[in-house]
Amino acid sequence: MPRQSTRTKKPATEALEAEKVEKLVEEKPQKEQKKRGRKPKQVVEETPVEDKMEVEEEQKGEETTTQTKADEQKPEQQEEAGSDSEEGSDDEEDNDLDLDALDESDSDSEFERDLNEKQSAAGIQANKYQKAAEESSDEEEDEDEIDIDELDVDGEEGEEVKAISKARQTINNKQGLLTALKRFALDTTDKVPFAFHQSIVAKKVTEESIPSIDDDLARELAFMNQALEAARVGRTLLRKEGVPFTRPTDYFAETLRSDETMEKVKAKLIEEATAKKASAEARKQRDLKKFGKQVQVAKQQERAKQKRDTLEKINLLKKKRKDGGGPTGANEAEDLFDVAVDNELKGGPSGNNSKKRGRDGKEGGGPNAKRQRKDAKFGFGGKKKYAKSNDALSSGDVSGFSARKMKSGGPAGGKPKKFKPAPRPGKARRKAGAGKR
Amino acid sequence: MAAVYKSLSKSAKKVEDTENDNNTTTNGGFRKNKQRVLILSSRGVTYRHRHLLNDLAAMLPHGRKDVKFDSKSKLYQLNELAELYNCNNVMFFEARKGKDLYMWFSKVPNGPTVKFHAQNLHTMEELHFTGNCLKGSRPLLSFDLAFEQEPHYRVIKEVFLQMFGVPQGARKSKPFIDHVMSFSIADGKIWVRNYEIREVEKAKGEKDSEGNDIVPESDKSSSKKRKGAPNAELKDTDVSLVEIGPRFVLTPIIIQEGAFGGPIIYENKRFISPNQVRSELRKAKATRHNARVEQVKERLGKLETLTAQAKKEKDVLDTRELFA
Repeated sequence: MPRQSTRTKKPATEALEAEKVEKLVEEKPQKEQKKRGRKPKQVVEETPVEDKMEVEEEQKGEETTTQTKADEQKPEQQEEAGSDSEEGSDDEEDNDLDLDALDESDSDSEFERDLNEKQSAAGIQANKYQKAAEESSDEEEDEDEIDIDELDVDGEEGEEVKAISKARQTINNKQGLLTALKRFALDTTDKVPFAFHQSIVAKKVTEESIPSIDDDLARELAFMNQALEAARVGRTLLRKEGVPFTRPTDYFAETLRSDETMEKVKAKLIEEATAKKASAEARKQRDLKKFGKQVQVAKQQERAKQKRDTLEKINLLKKKRKDGGGPTGANEAEDLFDVAVDNELKGGPSGNNSKKRGRDGKEGGGPNAKRQRKDAKFGFGGKKKYAKSNDALSSGDVSGFSARKMKSGGPAGGKPKKFKPAPRPGKARRKAGAGKR
Repeated sequence: MAAVYKSLSKSAKKVEDTENDNNTTTNGGFRKNKQRVLILSSRGVTYRHRHLLNDLAAMLPHGRKDVKFDSKSKLYQLNELAELYNCNNVMFFEARKGKDLYMWFSKVPNGPTVKFHAQNLHTMEELHFTGNCLKGSRPLLSFDLAFEQEPHYRVIKEVFLQMFGVPQGARKSKPFIDHVMSFSIADGKIWVRNYEIREVEKAKGEKDSEGNDIVPESDKSSSKKRKGAPNAELKDTDVSLVEIGPRFVLTPIIIQEGAFGGPIIYENKRFISPNQVRSELRKAKATRHNARVEQVKERLGKLETLTAQAKKEKDVLDTRELFA
């Protein structure tokens, strides 16, 4: 962990401390003050205790960063705000708590965590400082009060003002803050109508309802709940005062976000919705396809099973017949039936074959429907040789001959016309067709 | 004559007159809220900073947008500028290094000034929220309870109240209230959000159950509502919020007593400058690299010494010695 950079501010402040010179700070020359930036403008007065601290820190070397110093101070301020119990154990607790809080809070900067870890290591030493600082801070407070009073009186008259504060530490001049607040604060008490300021302070500390600052959803929810409570309370108060709250539906005026922006938002919403819908549809289609195949297979299996069953039944019947000893009361119908059964049985040995084929589902009417159609169209079996060659009959057939066609230009014109496939339909028609499917 | 009587009778009642500002007059026992905000940025703002500035300017009908200010060191000049435009608030966007945005909120003649570091900026345009509200309608300002607990937060709250709160009867403001600006403190930072208030119809039973889930105060407020306004319409509607934007997070850095000057009365010890953060990151990276380079060097050195040793030392039993 490089420490040099965190010490940037120290030398300057030390110099200031070393001087220990009282300076008069004017109200007017803001230019000078600005130049000095964040370095304390006010006069530095160190208690001896502070000096000791300084020495100790020097010995410690560059370990103490500005950040560390800042954290040392935090418990001190808490104490100032609350009770003045100054026990070592208390201090330690405070310090630990502080570090934890810091650890949790600053998620964006990794290196700070490292810093904190270091701090906990140097925590004991820090505690020593705290005690010393607390003692000195009490004195500081007293001084502050006096100075602020002076400042108040002088400030209005535009005269010179002097105030004293610690140089090395970060500044939190509570008295000064309160006086500044008093100077410019609007009256938001119950004496003024609510419509005057329209500000609502929540009843809860919002941070308490945020489990982790990195949890975006929970955090935003907490903020929203705060605002929602304010909206409810505000509406109640405003209605009580008779201030119009709800915008009537026929009140049109320029809005904060332009119509184009809202149009964009709407377009985006619609796009998202359609995308969602389309993906859902596609998924459904996929599922359907998968399911459809399953159904088909199941159907085929069922058919095969049915076929097997009927065959078995017929076999059984046949056996029974044989056992029964020939055709007894044989009329013609039964004869016919017998023939059918025999035929079926003759196919018996080949029935094994058919069983094999049965798995393919071609058992029913022999080949599948497509084959059947093709067979019907082109014929099946038989001699293939010379099938296309002319014979006496075909050569005598002149029905396809037309003298007029011959004259007009031969087959070049006619043939392509004949074999030209149907033109591809237009896009719209194709789409419509797809929709039907 | 009646007016004179009115004013006299009212002035008898008023108490807060003693603490007067130059921009305030008395009206019915309390100060009149007269605010005008000068909104401007420094040079070198990015598009996002600029859009945020535009968003805020659109939300403040009492705001006056000005051209970019050409200095980052002489901010006290802004005081004169504000005076020129009759503004008593200045909202100044200071961009540094083309990426960091600092926001200065200042009450002009007498201060205080608050300097923030703005992070996580999201403008209205880029956030695709569905909320919208009237341009220039007065917002409800919702503050976290934490704003009341520390003096510096109280100062910040007051500054926000005067800057973002549209004063009653502001010139371009609209008569209805349809949005809430919420300021919450979490993680030592101030999170600013802007929501539209939408009135939704709700059945009574639903309202009780759901309202309890969201906010415990709803019961009380709804009962108050019924008492206060016996309209049938009021009973049925409830409030829901839809975010509008923009979003941003402010880390207070300092509070100065004057306007762009004066002693610093608060300094945030938890604030770390983004420059420092970046440099730390860079250094962390550099140390990693340095360690690696050192390792390589060490290894090479070892290798060298070993080879040198091997060359130097010739043993008696070396093959070259033996069979030379």
